[in-house]
Amino acid sequence: MSIALENDAKRKWDGAANSFDLLSFGDDRRFADYKRRLFSKMYGKSLMVATGTGNDFKYFPPGQDIVALDISPKMLEKAAPRAEGYPGSLVLKEMDVCKLDFADDTFDTVVTVCTFCSVPKPVVGLSELRRVLKPGGQILMFEHMRSAVAQFGVLLDMMTPLTRKFGPDLNRDTVGNVLKAGFRLRRVENVYLDIVRIVEAVKD
Amino acid sequence: MFFQIGDFLVGMFVGVLTALAVRAAMWPGIDMVIAMLIGMGIGMVIHFVVAFMIGPLLGMFQTMMPASVIGMYGGMFFGMRDSMDAGSASWGAVALVGAIFGAVVVAALKVYDRALRGPTLDMEA
Repeated sequence: MSIALENDAKRKWDGAANSFDLLSFGDDRRFADYKRRLFSKMYGKSLMVATGTGNDFKYFPPGQDIVALDISPKMLEKAAPRAEGYPGSLVLKEMDVCKLDFADDTFDTVVTVCTFCSVPKPVVGLSELRRVLKPGGQILMFEHMRSAVAQFGVLLDMMTPLTRKFGPDLNRDTVGNVLKAGFRLRRVENVYLDIVRIVEAVKD
Repeated sequence: MFFQIGDFLVGMFVGVLTALAVRAAMWPGIDMVIAMLIGMGIGMVIHFVVAFMIGPLLGMFQTMMPASVIGMYGGMFFGMRDSMDAGSASWGAVALVGAIFGAVVVAALKVYDRALRGPTLDMEA
């Protein structure tokens, strides 16, 4: 990712850090069971991308070995006390998903929550995650994306230029991007309509 | 239960606001197509404002998607009705029809969500 794009993303998410938990209050509670069920599939050394304020750490099974990243230092400040409270190993790092500072084949599991709505170059980011996954490793994604239902898809297209200014894109083809990055889909589940979805994929 | 009740209340609120705003903006005899377009625009603006205010509390998408249908289609229907001066003579009746429309859309989307929910691909099965 270019320096300008990286700085834009950092500035945007630094700006959102203070209100992030408040803005995600409803989503956090409505989707808790889905996230807990998804994260129960974590194994081995895990990487969480776009950690945010660490709001999702409470859904991780205890005793995991996790590295959690975010591009925003302000988000990581908020996440630090939650990381300390996690009953396992959870290390925070400031890093851009498009430029990961890890060797190839490092992780067994990658976890994302509403991440690839915001990464400016999603296929680049996903390809980088594929690089650091071990062969046979899995990516577990809880993401929102563009609906295939015309009414909703068009609406999400119309709203994206606005929401992009302070937060995520609403019309990404995340399942398509996962395939473009070279993953094999293992499971796709609709959580709310066909907008909020669980995507599980594997690096062969 | 909090979320279920909240979904219906927000849907009814968007329906009432849209119906009242469209009634205030319309007059009998206005071209029906223009009335529907204006109604849709009013409904979309209302849906957008309400969804962004209440979305954080109830969930962004569960608020935004029903509100968009209520605002868009409700605005068109209410505009069409008001251009013909066809029914809902009082402001109370306008609000009631808006609330009913909002509740029906929320219920319909919940049924649709139930139908879509679940795995669409499962290589583990």
